[in-house]
Amino acid sequence: MATSGGVRNSDDQVEKSLYAKAEKIYPREVHGLFARMRVLGVLSLLGIYYIMPWIQWDGHQALLFDLPARKFHIFFITLWPQDFIYLAALLIIAGLLLFFVTALAGRVWCGYACPQTVWTEAFLWIERKVEGTRLQQQKLDAQPMNARKLRIKATKQFLWVTFAAWTGFTFVGYFTPILELGSRLLEFRLGGWETFWVIFYGFATYGNAGYMREQVCKYMCPYARFQSAMFDKDTLVVSYIPNRGEPRGPRKRSADPKELQLGDCIDCTLCVQVCPTGIDIREGLQYECIACSACIDACDDVMGKMGYDKGLIKYTTEHEMKGGKTRLIRPRIVIYAAVLLAIMALFAWSVMTRTPLGLDVIRDRNQLYRETNEGLIENVYILKILNMDNVAHTYTLKVSGIEGLRLHMDMPEIRVASGGVLELPVRLQVEEGDLDMRSTEISFELVADGNSALTVVEEARFLGPK
Amino acid sequence: MAEEKVPGSQKCIAILWPSFLVAIVATGLFFSAFDPDDLYPFGNETGISRLGVYSIGFLAFWFVSAVSGVGTLYFAMTNCMRSRR
Ligand code: SF4
Ligand code: SF4
Repeated sequence: MATSGGVRNSDDQVEKSLYAKAEKIYPREVHGLFARMRVLGVLSLLGIYYIMPWIQWDGHQALLFDLPARKFHIFFITLWPQDFIYLAALLIIAGLLLFFVTALAGRVWCGYACPQTVWTEAFLWIERKVEGTRLQQQKLDAQPMNARKLRIKATKQFLWVTFAAWTGFTFVGYFTPILELGSRLLEFRLGGWETFWVIFYGFATYGNAGYMREQVCKYMCPYARFQSAMFDKDTLVVSYIPNRGEPRGPRKRSADPKELQLGDCIDCTLCVQVCPTGIDIREGLQYECIACSACIDACDDVMGKMGYDKGLIKYTTEHEMKGGKTRLIRPRIVIYAAVLLAIMALFAWSVMTRTPLGLDVIRDRNQLYRETNEGLIENVYILKILNMDNVAHTYTLKVSGIEGLRLHMDMPEIRVASGGVLELPVRLQVEEGDLDMRSTEISFELVADGNSALTVVEEARFLGPK
Repeated sequence: MAEEKVPGSQKCIAILWPSFLVAIVATGLFFSAFDPDDLYPFGNETGISRLGVYSIGFLAFWFVSAVSGVGTLYFAMTNCMRSRR
């Protein structure tokens, strides 16, 4: 549901409409300021989506969640599974940003940027190009099947499926290098799972943007269900101004509404026809409204033709509707902004100061300890060294924790290529007399070629007989 | 809501969709902790690529949480019917 005030649907009605059989909605094409903004938004977002994976950066794909290689490239940053926390932080930041924008401007996300909206717009556009206007579409669907209808429907399906398949391919291209993927595709050598995901995502796009459309918003979208919690009386909403519009009624253009005792709404129902979710905004704010402002454009157009003032349906706030003024700065906004800025700063700081070096110490599982021929107590470990930096490094390894602890390894030098992992077996030896306990805490310290800023310390246990 | 009013397609969505989201999160968490290549102590003889293991893992998580969703829906609905009587 949209806001606390002005909500018309009782729970009961919501329930009924939730479970009513959905009828196909034919949104009428609309022109105007907001429609242009939406086209701009849709085009730039689609452009980014389809072009982004092809952009290269420093010898790799600029944005690549390389699942097969377990590395995430985000331009100059390379993240590893160990850095999962950063990805989680990014998601949290995105979520908070959405809260912030919602509190400020309502469901602009839904109207202009949600993938569901964006791809639905694209599919609607194809549909209109092939099948014609809303009326032509309705007529066509009412007809029995004939050669012309079959041709039109087949063309639409062909375009939809092609577009969806390309979308699916692009999607997989975010998770496995798209250049290789593309060349494998051309040679018909796509892997089984790659094919599966191309089809999976392509099919999801086709179904959601071609058929489910507004029902995704109504039944599947978590955001649509909880966005009202971020609303307050100063949040922007799309609203019809009943005081001005009612009583509604048709009239001649020349007629004086005052004489006829009519409001400004001429009851042309254009605002209903353009609505992608098929609601009547004049009934008050409804949870189905995705604030796409198509009805604003439609109504403004009518008002212009009638010679009335625009803005019978407009972006407004509850405060403004009640005759007050909208407050931009209010506690909710300030708190969201403060939290958002703090987390973003923390994130930036921790990414910048991240040590691009990982060290895992794994004890040899086969024996706790062993006695060497010289009578020393020996423990064996496998060190996993992860160079997450963009250049190769040579490392020096030190151990501490027990007096006289000696380190032996088989490699003369620890060198790890950029992005490489090295498994290094090491043996630690100590005189039995130097051990006080059965288990002593020791630490490994790994320093990258003389650069103490690039250091990791990892604790481990040394086991002995005592 | 009485059970017969809810179309099957929406029951399917109510089960498959949330479990899909849960499966994404679970897969992400699980495989950032475990590398598929490390899951075989004696070397990977199955010949399944990492992408394959991720995918199978995802589908398995999806299946498991969908089963739990079926349970939830079943209990919610039978409960609802009983309270009507
Ligand atoms: S309701 Fe949900 S799916 Fe629909 S546009 Fe808004 S965010 Fe997207
Ligand atoms: S009521 Fe208006 S703003 Fe809301 S979804 Fe319909 S056309 Fe868009």
